[in-house]
Amino acid sequence: MYESPIREPLVTGGKTVADVTADICRPMENKPTKAWWIGFIISLFCLGLLGWNLWTSSTQGLGLWGINKTVGWAWDITNFVFWVGIGHAGTLISAILLLFRQKWRMSINRSAEAMTIFAVMCAAIFPLFHMGRVWIGPYWALPMPNAFGSLWLNFNSPLLWDVFAISTYFSVSLLFWYLGLIPDIASVRDRATTKMRKFMYHFFAMGWDGSVRTWARYEVVSLILAGISTPLVLSVHTIVSMDFATSIVPGWHTTIFPPYFVAGAIFSGFGMVLTLLVIARKVMNYENYITSGHLEAMCKIVMLTGSMVGLAYITEFFIAWYSGVNYEQYAFLNRMSGEYWWAYWSMMTCNLIAPQVFWIKWARTTPWFIFVMSIIVNIGMWFERFVIIVTSLHRDYLPSSWVMYYPTATEVGIFVGTFGLFFTFFFLFCRFLPVINMAEVKSILPHKHHDDDHGHDNHGHSHDHNHNDNH
Amino acid sequence: MSNKTNNMLYGIYDDADQFLKSAYKMKDMGVPVEDCYTPHPVHGIEKAVGIKRTRLTIAAFLCGLTGTISAVTLEMYTNVFDWPMNIGGKPNDGYVPAFIPVTFELTVLFTAFGMMILFFYRNKMVHGQREKLVDLRQTDDLYIIAINMNEQHHSREEIAGVLMQNGAIETREKGVSK
Repeated sequence: MYESPIREPLVTGGKTVADVTADICRPMENKPTKAWWIGFIISLFCLGLLGWNLWTSSTQGLGLWGINKTVGWAWDITNFVFWVGIGHAGTLISAILLLFRQKWRMSINRSAEAMTIFAVMCAAIFPLFHMGRVWIGPYWALPMPNAFGSLWLNFNSPLLWDVFAISTYFSVSLLFWYLGLIPDIASVRDRATTKMRKFMYHFFAMGWDGSVRTWARYEVVSLILAGISTPLVLSVHTIVSMDFATSIVPGWHTTIFPPYFVAGAIFSGFGMVLTLLVIARKVMNYENYITSGHLEAMCKIVMLTGSMVGLAYITEFFIAWYSGVNYEQYAFLNRMSGEYWWAYWSMMTCNLIAPQVFWIKWARTTPWFIFVMSIIVNIGMWFERFVIIVTSLHRDYLPSSWVMYYPTATEVGIFVGTFGLFFTFFFLFCRFLPVINMAEVKSILPHKHHDDDHGHDNHGHSHDHNHNDNH
Repeated sequence: MSNKTNNMLYGIYDDADQFLKSAYKMKDMGVPVEDCYTPHPVHGIEKAVGIKRTRLTIAAFLCGLTGTISAVTLEMYTNVFDWPMNIGGKPNDGYVPAFIPVTFELTVLFTAFGMMILFFYRNKMVHGQREKLVDLRQTDDLYIIAINMNEQHHSREEIAGVLMQNGAIETREKGVSK
């Protein structure tokens, strides 16, 4: 592999191939720490909150929510878009960065993909339960013949596109994640000491032995999955944005939504990746694998995408003015200075202004500061969705139906509960699966230099192995 | 040698560069390498072993095509032929732009599932399948060249000598049933 003389190595600390396996498996093989138990129990408690609030919402009805005739989409759809957005970093890292040959993705892609899968699960809860009677949801979401009581699906509806987009995204991300996990599960299997561990990892490793033929196919399949996942990632949030953009509601009816939502999704996804990894690298002693170089690269992406959404906010204002449509102009003035001005300005501060600190190198390389910033990004992106959804709806064409929307305890409970679901899965993932892709990280280690070696530039063969990449 | 077992010779390395170099040495000597086992993908090795490019890429295209056709069929049958609905007075008399998102998603979905199923099929991988390992550390930090001695003109000593000269930490012999 080519080693740049000026770049920082991607793995520091002079690790050998055996060190990688040992270091990354260590947290899984040791007894869970006290911190893990505390975190896990809090998450389970929140998960219980989710269960309870979904139960009451289903049995007593959506009257428990703060939605009303004017504001039909509010907290639920805000959170749906929020979680789907977070779910965009994983596949972006593993697919788009793979196609762009960004090798720093290798120590973060596993956890980011896990995060994607859990976030999409959280997201799916909201539209499902927003249907009210969730148990008859399949009749509306799946193609069922008319005789089943409902008409065939309406393929003209963006809400239906969403069903297909989200479920495809979830399944493809899961497959991609599992494919990458198989070699690592095999590594864990071959180190397992207890009978239970041996059996479980043996079962999921599917007989993996690292044969060269398998690896060759593995690489081609990864490349194909990356190739199809790249447009998929972009399509998912594009379609989510069309839930709004294809309507005729002032404030939603804009063509800028697809690129603006995709940039926002990447922004919030990286925000969440940073939140989790800044903690995880410290607690699990992975600082040689997730180096400050990795954090810095992610901060740069956060700054770039933050500026892109900022540009989109400003463009929306310009277009509202330039269009000459009164309703459009009022929607935006109301956003900025109406009853929900505080939500709008929180969004602007967190998403456009705050990430600009990442122009300073200190800000990009100081973990505690990055952590604080990542929380700000998460808050900002939540407000973005709230602003788009609620402030566009609460004052529509008829002043007689102008209302305010406030969430109820049930809605807050569901939202907190989805964090419980997310972190329960994340804690289990940290406990039972290798958090860093060992096989890929092994392939980017700095080479050993042998005394008798003539350097890798002088191989007498045409195989060109000093210039190719890992995929 | 019996006909039922392959007499295998394994060269075991702890360094990817030396492992790769040895595999090319074998190729130069005209010793066909049966297989290699590595803890991570080592580039260039597939040429030393003489592996042809996989045809999975062609299969991927066919899977995708199946997805596209399925999606178009579903949408056209339900929304155009069986039960056309008047939605906002928009035309519903053929393949409309609104059908594109679902068509795209199903194309991706079919490709991904098709690829994974074929990947497991080609590698004969299934959940709970028993692994055949030369060494437990081949998924950790060892690189192994496997040579089938039944098909060699060179002697065992000669091949093992070359493997050791090129940095093998050990050579091992084993009969493996065909």
